[in-house]
Amino acid sequence: MTRVVVTGMGIVSPLGIGREAFWSGLTAGQSGIGPITLFDASTFPVRFGGEVKGFAPGPVIERFPAAAGSRDRKLLLALAAAEEAIADAALPHAALREGLLCVGVGLESFCLEDLTAHARAENLGRALARSILARYDSPWFQTPLDRTAAILGDRYGLLAGRYTNCSACAAGTQVVGEAWQMLCEGHAAVALAGAADSMLNPLGLGGFSLLRVLSDENDRPQRACRPFDATRHGTVLGEGAAFLVLETLDHAADRGATVCAEVLGYGSSLDAFAVSDPDPSGRGAVASMRRALRSAGLEPGQIDCVSAHATGTPKNDAVETAAIKEVLGRRAYEVPVHAVKSMTGHMIAASGAVEAAAAVLTLARRTVPPTINLQAPDPACDLDYVPAEARAFHGDIVLSNSFGFGGQNATVILGRSGDLP
Amino acid sequence: MAEVVITGIGLVTPLGRSPAEVLGRIAAGEVASQPSPLGEALACPLVAPVADFDPQQYFPENKALRLMNRDAELAVVAARLAVQHARIAVGRTYPADEIALFGATGLSGIRLDQIARLVEHAAAADGSLDLDRFGRVALRRIRPVLSFKILANMPMCFVSIFEGVCGPNAVYAPWEGQGAQAIAAGIRAIRRGEVPCALVGGCDVKTHELALVSLQQLGVFDSWVRHGRGTIPGEAAAFLVLEDESRAHQRSARICARIRRYAFRSMAAGWLAAERSEAPAGAAAGEGATARRQASSADVPRRHCFCEGLAHGTLGHAHDERGHGTQHGTRALAGMFFSLTISGRPGVIAAGDGDVAVSQAERAALERSGIEPSSIFYPKAHLGNAFAAAAAIQVALAAELASRGETRTVLANCLGFGTEQGSFVVEAV
Repeated sequence: MTRVVVTGMGIVSPLGIGREAFWSGLTAGQSGIGPITLFDASTFPVRFGGEVKGFAPGPVIERFPAAAGSRDRKLLLALAAAEEAIADAALPHAALREGLLCVGVGLESFCLEDLTAHARAENLGRALARSILARYDSPWFQTPLDRTAAILGDRYGLLAGRYTNCSACAAGTQVVGEAWQMLCEGHAAVALAGAADSMLNPLGLGGFSLLRVLSDENDRPQRACRPFDATRHGTVLGEGAAFLVLETLDHAADRGATVCAEVLGYGSSLDAFAVSDPDPSGRGAVASMRRALRSAGLEPGQIDCVSAHATGTPKNDAVETAAIKEVLGRRAYEVPVHAVKSMTGHMIAASGAVEAAAAVLTLARRTVPPTINLQAPDPACDLDYVPAEARAFHGDIVLSNSFGFGGQNATVILGRSGDLP
Repeated sequence: MAEVVITGIGLVTPLGRSPAEVLGRIAAGEVASQPSPLGEALACPLVAPVADFDPQQYFPENKALRLMNRDAELAVVAARLAVQHARIAVGRTYPADEIALFGATGLSGIRLDQIARLVEHAAAADGSLDLDRFGRVALRRIRPVLSFKILANMPMCFVSIFEGVCGPNAVYAPWEGQGAQAIAAGIRAIRRGEVPCALVGGCDVKTHELALVSLQQLGVFDSWVRHGRGTIPGEAAAFLVLEDESRAHQRSARICARIRRYAFRSMAAGWLAAERSEAPAGAAAGEGATARRQASSADVPRRHCFCEGLAHGTLGHAHDERGHGTQHGTRALAGMFFSLTISGRPGVIAAGDGDVAVSQAERAALERSGIEPSSIFYPKAHLGNAFAAAAAIQVALAAELASRGETRTVLANCLGFGTEQGSFVVEAV
């Protein structure tokens, strides 16, 4: 069977821009959460989130002029992360040209200002249409979801197929898994797989706050996301992007690439339960993990670490804990289970990709990141969640979960590159 | 490697809800269209909605319908029709987690009426966005469930809930090519032995104002600006039940057709960015939309786009003056067709949707790759273009054509907007 390895990664996150900033913040147990500064959210029910601080769109647009027509922040985050991943892999453009692209993105954004400008019009739709037609070269009212793939394709080729995955919170993990599957099946030798999202805009933050899934602890934002803690009461929106360069082992070896980790398996499942809540039985989460284990040819006892979905909502964390125990059995109590989102917030579509990158770094740097803000034990969450401080990691295999709104679940398994040439 | 067959088809289209009905009405020359809700403000004067559609007919008293947008409503009905057509009882015929679900959805389904009150209350007197009012007043004017309605993955999640399907899955967006990718994902899952069965398809609603505005700005209607004819935005949902052929035989399933091969091509040429630097003729800044548009709903011939461009296919690259035509490099498409190694004279379910450049490129690519079609159907020219649903419709109609025995092999083309183009070889069993 074809083996697939990770040879590069790029990360733009609330913990910093670039892989090293992310890893440094993650292992230091820093919180990337703070008051919203991207717009005036002072009258919003929720006024904090995990912003990518210091991100300057200008230089990204300079390097990708095709992005100039978009006002979509997640597009720019994606381009920055993808560029870092390609540079990190030292991958020649000729290799990328025949490669595969799998991009996960979140909800389409549109420009509210274009609408409010015509709020008093007799017919808002027609007024909007006329104004947009009259300013043909104006930024887009709505950035299509495949725009990231199109721009990356224009730049790098990636002619083996460009997939735009919209599986909500599962998207970032699905793109890594699907890229792995297609490389194993021989569709290409190289893949760029990653995801980006930013819901930190008025409609995104406002809309999510109405769903009552967000913590509203505006007075202590850095403590607000508390996965597995007994007092947890909601997640925190974040934004970010991460891309991985995947190659077949043969391709990587031929060009003398540095191997960071190996992708061992992938699985996905559906709850088929409800669009707003996870199935309390955890059946979908269990199926996703088991499918990933099966595809990797691994036994539960071989898993050494779990990067949990762990959003910090009361239901999700308890269901995931139970599912991990069902899948791993006694092993569940022996392995570290950590929550990246305790520090980054929930980056929605991007989360899975960022967490896959964190898993690669966990393996490569031999360190498990902590779960911060975990102070009050919850009897329903009784695993080793690596509270507060990072710790040394001596294992070889990490399992990373993503469970999405609507009941889409995905799991990817990564292995240490120690035995690889 | 497993052969993959189609054993169930579910359609909700402007021209019917079964492949036979749709093909029959296409053959009769029907074109689904009615005036656009944006009227003269848009270059394209028409839309192709699904008339007389009520999901309650299929799912009476189901409260979940209240959480759905129209794209999800269309999707759950089409999926149910496909599963029923395949005579599959989820959980009995196959375990629920051995049925995969891969689907495509379109551009955001949020409608103007859903956010009109928010916009009204968030607007300052000068028309700027007043964030203070947005937080204090406007947010309270929208329904909390709106976020769930507009998430791109929701239609497929509702399909999974309604049908009880729990297997491998993914959602792609937003154009025809991604719909084709969803079908291919199902084929791959079966071929690698991950599942014996997959529900694949797509849904899209491109008949409401915000979608139409976006399509206009993205250049989808440039053919209307140039030629006074072009693609008609539509709405539809289509699902196929795919099965491992040996498993289908084991359960004595009725097999509609086999998907022998598929091919994809990502276009290397610039998508929209390169072309956006030059506005189309007659579209100088400040010029009104009415002046740009060259036809109205009254003067567009009923069969305005049927087979347009067939007579003058060109070799080399098909060049529309601007916009998405340029992406359809004939050479690239011909390479894709050639890779399918089609012998004989297949029927063709063409991608041509009235857009002149698409038709030219498709025809030229067929010629270049040596394919002499025995017949050509242009479904989108009749049904309108429900982008993310179009691929499943194309393949469904190809299966119907093959199953009739008129032509043993049918090439179903899923070429369109965006950079991804796909094509399927469907054959009679």
